[in-house]
Amino acid sequence: MTMKLVNIWLLLLVVLLCGKKHLGDRLEKKSFERTPCPGCSHLTLKVEFSSTVVEYEYIVAFNGYFTAKARNSFISSALKSSEIDNWRIIPRNNPSSDYPSDFEVIQIKEKQKAGLLTLEDHPNIKRVTPQRKVFRSLKYAECEYRDPRLICVPDPLVPCNETRWSQKWQSSRPLRRASLSLGSGFWHATGRHSSRRLLRAIPRQVAQTLQADVLWQMGYTGANVRVAVFDTGLSEKHPHFKNVKERTNWTNERTLDDGLGHGTFVAGVIASMRECQGFAPDAELHIFRVFTNNQVSYTSWFLDAFNYAILKKIDVLNLSIGGPDFMDHPFVDKVWELTANNVIMVSAIGNDGPLYGTLNNPADQMDVIGVGGIDFEDNIARFSSRGMTTWELPGGYGRVKPDIVTYGAGVRGSGVKGGCRALSGTSVASPVVAGAVTLLVSTVQKRELVNPASMKQALIASARRLPGVNMFEQGHGKLDLLRAYQILNSYKPQASLSPSYIDLTECPYMWPYCSQPIYYGGMPTIVNVTILNGMGVTGRIVDKPDWQPYLPQNGDNIEVAFSYSSVLWPWSGYLAISISVTKKAASWEGTAQGHVMITVASPAEGESKNGAEQTSTVKLPIKVKIIPAPPRSKRVLWDQYHNLRYPPGYFPRDNLRMKNDPLDWNGDHIHTNFRDMYQHLRSMGYFVEVLGSPFTCFDANQYGTLLMVDSEEEYFPEEVAKLRRDVDNGLSLIVFSDWYNTSVMRKVKFYDENTRQWWMPDTGGANIPALNELLSVWNMAFSDGLYEGDFTLANHDMYYASGCSIAKFPEDGIVITQTFKDQGLEVLKQETAVVENVPILGLYQIPAEGGGRIVLYGDSNCLDDSHRQKDCFWLLDALLQYTSYGVTPPSLSHSGNRQRPPSGAGSVTPERMEGEWARGCSAEGNWRKPDSRLLQEIVGPPRTWSQLAVPLIIFLPDCRRKSSQWLCPAEGAVHPCTEWTFAEGLMCQLLPLLSPYSSQRPRSHLHRYSKVLEAHLGGPAPRALPACPHLSWAKPQPLNETAPSNLWKHQKLLSIDLDKVVLPNFRSNRPQVRPLSPGESGAWDIPGGGGQDNSCFGLSGSHHGIMPGRYNQEVGQTIPVFAFLGAMVVLAFFVVQINKAKSRPKRRKPRVKRPQLMQQVHPPKTPSV
Amino acid sequence: MVNLAAMVWRRLLRKRWVLALVFGLSLVYFLSSTFKQEERAVRDRNLLQVQDHDQPILWKVQFNLGNSSRPSNQCRNSIQGKHLITDELGYVCERKHLLVNGCCNVHVPSTKQYCCDGCLSSGCCSAYEHCVSCCLQPNKQLLLERFLNRAAVAFQNLFMAVEDHFELCLAKCRTSSQSVQHENTYRDPIAKYCYGESPPELFPA
Repeated sequence: MTMKLVNIWLLLLVVLLCGKKHLGDRLEKKSFERTPCPGCSHLTLKVEFSSTVVEYEYIVAFNGYFTAKARNSFISSALKSSEIDNWRIIPRNNPSSDYPSDFEVIQIKEKQKAGLLTLEDHPNIKRVTPQRKVFRSLKYAECEYRDPRLICVPDPLVPCNETRWSQKWQSSRPLRRASLSLGSGFWHATGRHSSRRLLRAIPRQVAQTLQADVLWQMGYTGANVRVAVFDTGLSEKHPHFKNVKERTNWTNERTLDDGLGHGTFVAGVIASMRECQGFAPDAELHIFRVFTNNQVSYTSWFLDAFNYAILKKIDVLNLSIGGPDFMDHPFVDKVWELTANNVIMVSAIGNDGPLYGTLNNPADQMDVIGVGGIDFEDNIARFSSRGMTTWELPGGYGRVKPDIVTYGAGVRGSGVKGGCRALSGTSVASPVVAGAVTLLVSTVQKRELVNPASMKQALIASARRLPGVNMFEQGHGKLDLLRAYQILNSYKPQASLSPSYIDLTECPYMWPYCSQPIYYGGMPTIVNVTILNGMGVTGRIVDKPDWQPYLPQNGDNIEVAFSYSSVLWPWSGYLAISISVTKKAASWEGTAQGHVMITVASPAEGESKNGAEQTSTVKLPIKVKIIPAPPRSKRVLWDQYHNLRYPPGYFPRDNLRMKNDPLDWNGDHIHTNFRDMYQHLRSMGYFVEVLGSPFTCFDANQYGTLLMVDSEEEYFPEEVAKLRRDVDNGLSLIVFSDWYNTSVMRKVKFYDENTRQWWMPDTGGANIPALNELLSVWNMAFSDGLYEGDFTLANHDMYYASGCSIAKFPEDGIVITQTFKDQGLEVLKQETAVVENVPILGLYQIPAEGGGRIVLYGDSNCLDDSHRQKDCFWLLDALLQYTSYGVTPPSLSHSGNRQRPPSGAGSVTPERMEGEWARGCSAEGNWRKPDSRLLQEIVGPPRTWSQLAVPLIIFLPDCRRKSSQWLCPAEGAVHPCTEWTFAEGLMCQLLPLLSPYSSQRPRSHLHRYSKVLEAHLGGPAPRALPACPHLSWAKPQPLNETAPSNLWKHQKLLSIDLDKVVLPNFRSNRPQVRPLSPGESGAWDIPGGGGQDNSCFGLSGSHHGIMPGRYNQEVGQTIPVFAFLGAMVVLAFFVVQINKAKSRPKRRKPRVKRPQLMQQVHPPKTPSV
Repeated sequence: MVNLAAMVWRRLLRKRWVLALVFGLSLVYFLSSTFKQEERAVRDRNLLQVQDHDQPILWKVQFNLGNSSRPSNQCRNSIQGKHLITDELGYVCERKHLLVNGCCNVHVPSTKQYCCDGCLSSGCCSAYEHCVSCCLQPNKQLLLERFLNRAAVAFQNLFMAVEDHFELCLAKCRTSSQSVQHENTYRDPIAKYCYGESPPELFPA
């Protein structure tokens, strides 16, 4: 009978579809594990299936559709014949239970075998199968550390938290430009404020959420805009894209397709035209594959690809990638070159939040639109990088970044082969902005007005500020597409500032400025304002910025100094404003206001007159809170000048267990990774200032304590002398040191895939040899030991993570010791040893009258936010009590752990690390084959490598052979060099040249990055002491006016009245895109009647949730055409069936009786399966 | 119509072999399309890579002789410069001396044509604009043709899209993968813009 056929068909369809789906899930699983996932993930998602037989329960399948009553009667008649009473039908409560069905679930508790046999014998019963329960579980695999780039796949053999000390430190994320998305980590995305709230379960259509449909309805869809996606590629015939203009590959893999899904997703957010819709479906897509499937990419690939993008006159370029190396000059220069060529660059700010000081390049550049992530509830996403830029340290202050934030958590975008998936990460937020920008560009009639600066101005002027979030987290706020459209379409070329006003009293937006008022004698407060110039790619500040204090508002109580870019190029520049309190307000309290006026000029465009300029004048209101200078004891000076970080050098992490984040790259500033410590000190009533210049440049009488934490820099001899005098005169010193052990430093070197060279640390966690020189006058020194362990001090739980010990301390000092594990031994030899009485804390009072106090502690990790396990802010409090007021904390002085201070005998103080002369070769005698091309270029073809294995390998890559001379510009000298043979010749020719190097003192190549050392013939030597920064205060031009108290509202927009620009009536009936039901395919647009197809799935799937909602994963793989054909056949059957049903009752029997008829009459020709 | 459908149904679609055929075809399609997708991922369709290494690339650069072929008196120029700009006639001028039509004002004394200031004999210059201007010298055409004939594989994408002498010089003078060593440093941080055949000479960091 036809019914039977239909059943077969349906079953087959379902089986095939399920098969396909399982295949899809398997693919999905694979892609999860390889998903580029920086910033997340100590969590790994695994999708698993399992099924178990449910005891006593069976599915009885009939060979037709019958009502519940009919089914019941079949089963009961069958079971009655085998005399089974203990059975029941398991009720199914779903909408389909009102309709005839072809199966029933029953429970039989006795004589199952016989029962089943009789059931199967029943003419209406097709078969009986055991009931199975299907589990589909999502698993998180948890690992001890977080590797922000790679998703952490637990290896069954190596538990994640097992510590393996090997040379193979994972090439670091910070070195590498990584793509910035988080696997599928929508569960990571809770912001701080919503950590206990559930996220909305369904990821949203981001384009509609941002009201892109309003612009679509106006006919703007991104047409004629060239948008480039620099990512992992895109497959050729992806069903979501209609205008892929070109795909190019710049990697060493021979494919253009996306093997990861990252590039597809990003392209989908920008330009997908169906399912999860992108912003600009009609935009011309240019796909640049610059990441391999293993997430490898090199600067050189980017350079060539960027050149091509310039040639192709790309309008908008999305870079969902980033890395911390803002000193990669070829790359940074190239990004400038792109924006100078009118390419609007949009880039992800990074996934290294919530730590501060984690901004990624190129998003941190002034000419790039840097995008941070929020969730759909407007909380800053936890992963979103934040904090100021660190380019300007130590002398200056960082710029505000990100520029704007937008949705970046649980956003839906295209899957690798079609369908949708949800991803989180700033690499999701970036294409949201890139897509919005593309759409915006297509709305502008006068295209020549659109440039990187004007677009950025429009975006930040229209952005909506999020409440309770500071500007170093949210930038200017959340993207508002429609307001940006309004602003852009009435845009006149002009200059603007970011931030557009300076209100140092406004909390929390202006954190950290608002967290500490200014006072006379303090270090000037620096605000680094970015100038955006929409008038032209180059510009300049006319004359000088003017400082105009408001006399009625005590503007004359502050002084202002400027430093600014001499040329604003490309499209932008900086204006740093140093604010200080005048002497006459030394004991005054109140707020002072004024403003700065700057005029920006650019060469005129479209003017016939030669040399004509267009100008734009911008006002920058300033408001500060002034208090009388606090007493000396309350003032703490943070030494920033002696903190070095990556980039440029390899400054290793202070906690050696953090193997996957080997670099110290957060700036070591009180407003970056020492933010918590700063907040704590402020809450304890201390005023913390930052010293960005040598010790010779501050007035020690102003400060109670100089705080030196994790210092990597060397010291000028003048500084050592000055600090000694200062301490004698009452300045106190707190030093939080860190590890330094040359053997460990050699051990933690690694080969950096990205720069293709070996990386040897330039210091340890801190520069102990330099610190020891500084401290030697007080007979103090740190050791080269390396210790780790938990301990209790004064009833506080503490953790000592890779710290050193005190080697030497004056007899009359207080020294606290603890028992630790020798981590140095563990790193070097994988042995465990416990060391007792390790001196870690020393307190010392200078005996002279009015002398200061010195405190040493061997580990800085308990103050640093980056990998802190247990904080020691209480200890810092106690130590500040001691240094500021001379109160010896009884908990420390009477501690049971107090021991005699070490005399220095028996422990080793570290020597400076020897330098490595060649990139790619090591100084320790065992050769790693260096860059052979480079070597050959310089020394000719090698014979054997062993010939070079002499105790100290001397090989100068910095020398190049020029005619018959070796030119060594590092020394600035030309050394004669005649012909030589390889090994011997190299030695004999170069040794005399190097003899000064091989003299007494070992060296590091710290001098390359140091402000204190420079390369010298006799080894690195201190430079001449630089002059202290001198600020020339701007001449005030007092005004007799008052400013409004709320500066923000009046500065928000670019002299454009938003209300004047009218949008066509907003239609709120948003989604034109029908929400997808689970399992629905989006490979084609199913015409209106397609709903019936879904019901097919519904019937079979309704039962036990075998097909759960698949949000958050691929929603619907591309279902091949066969399914469509099959479905059409089924549809045809229904049509015929309905047709029959209509015509039959007239001629035959009343319809109600049909089931009975079917029950009784079994046409003999019905095929049985 | 309905009758016809019913007839088709009765005659044809109710036959088991028809249904089996439809099913079989569907199954074949399903399997083949599944495998094809896998294959496609592996297959390589990159125009950059299918190139035979021995064969010179087919560049389409038109070296125009003189400026007679320019359609109007509009000039393309190097757009990006901080201080300087080069137009397609090879003139270098300060940005403020750029005319509305995009050309340099040739009546200003500081404007120079085919200016090679700061360029080394190796073909590398310290200023991008000078490199472009120098590269536009008509006598550089041979050098450029020679370069195009042996352009590195990685550059084929770029130089196959270049259409004329000016575009070629704009593209050639940019810093590229040839300009760096250890990825994040310039081989020569000063003379890094090269119109010549060889990369910048390695200069110590």
